[in-house]
Amino acid sequence: MRKLIAVALLAIYATSAHSEYLYGISGNMAGAGHTWGMSGIGPGNTRGLRINGVFYQYTPVKNTEDDMVVHVRNKRVGGGYIFSETDDWSGLPGGIPITKGFIIDNLPIELWGDGSIDVEGTGSVIDANVVYSYKYNNDCLTPMSDPSCPGYTDAVLGMMGNIDVATYDPMGDKNITDVLSEKADLEEDAEQDEEKEDSDRLEKILSSVDDSVLSANVISQNLLMFAMTNIATMNTYYDKKLAGGVYKETVVLDGGNLPDNKKGARAGLAQQILHTKMVGMQYEPKE
Amino acid sequence: MNKLLIVGLALASCSPAYAAETPITGNVQTRCLITTDTNGVFGNPLPSKLSTTAADGGVVPVVRYDVTLADAYLAKVTTPTSFSTSPSLTDNVTWTGSTTVTNTTDVGMAGYEAAKVTYGSTTQYDLTVAGSTWFSSEASAVYGVNKSFPGGSYTAIVLAECIAK
Repeated sequence: MRKLIAVALLAIYATSAHSEYLYGISGNMAGAGHTWGMSGIGPGNTRGLRINGVFYQYTPVKNTEDDMVVHVRNKRVGGGYIFSETDDWSGLPGGIPITKGFIIDNLPIELWGDGSIDVEGTGSVIDANVVYSYKYNNDCLTPMSDPSCPGYTDAVLGMMGNIDVATYDPMGDKNITDVLSEKADLEEDAEQDEEKEDSDRLEKILSSVDDSVLSANVISQNLLMFAMTNIATMNTYYDKKLAGGVYKETVVLDGGNLPDNKKGARAGLAQQILHTKMVGMQYEPKE
Repeated sequence: MNKLLIVGLALASCSPAYAAETPITGNVQTRCLITTDTNGVFGNPLPSKLSTTAADGGVVPVVRYDVTLADAYLAKVTTPTSFSTSPSLTDNVTWTGSTTVTNTTDVGMAGYEAAKVTYGSTTQYDLTVAGSTWFSSEASAVYGVNKSFPGGSYTAIVLAECIAK
């Protein structure tokens, strides 16, 4: 089951991948020397990386009268050069940097061999800077994006972790073979049992239907009686009518002066004293 | 009477004369383009000095000439001889400047620097090769005799021109 889920997830993941081109520029490939490999260009696990531009800059160091030729080039895998540019500085002064850029027709990285700056004659090159621009598909940034991506199998196996991916033979499973043998013996008995079970089941179903109809009738009658009773009970309230008119204030304060009730105050204090005394009594030691 | 009628009809039947003006249009594409590659910044190493050199804390301005037609243009770069904006100055400012080729796109431009002509604050190059050439212009200004520049913002202009030969 876990295998099925894993396969299903992989299928969904693969179909959700989309393809679009991304663009990038390499670093200075000639920064560490006048020869370089092309393996470090672009992010890893990319598919269909293509070089679409080469840019270089360097400063020739030479005397004007000296002959010097500078080649900036990349070998082609399989022979020859895939990119080659030659600057002939013979009879020209050095010291001024030269910058050149070339648009390349999206040549696959697989065709690009090692690059180099080669000097023929008297003189040298300093401050060399060679940069490649490229584009690539992003649909293999994660190897599991597509079964055709490099490293797909390893990534899948790595994700499945401890799951045993050895071929599973169901006929070699003892549990299954036992069940199959028992099934063969019990097949006839099962048919007879099934016929009896069918008749019993039909009776139960019919009985259940009758019970259900009876219950429904009882419930509906109860509800009907309850509603009728409510109507009779509530009607007695609906028929009551309040007598109309105005209820006027009848108490009149004579003189507008309401003195303190000293008698009431004394009674209140006496009650308070008595209450305090009663409360205090519970803390008195028993004799 | 008949002759008169014939002449009249003949005159009436003549078509009137029309004048037509046909325009000619054309478009000249620029073959010499000047672009500011780097804006300059004055450094202030001394109270009396403003300078674009890196050693003085400034940034050298760089202009790029893009020429698509070889041997057709002259590049003229003039370093500043006055501030375009500055606080009020009451003393003389002494200007020095120079222009050099700092980058090229073609080997044939290697000789530009040796062949340049300088007069006054202007440096002239013969753009004999199609391509791009970068020119850097250093400029410095000294105020009076060890006199401090008044505080404020200072701006000067490097003039870059492309003259058809």
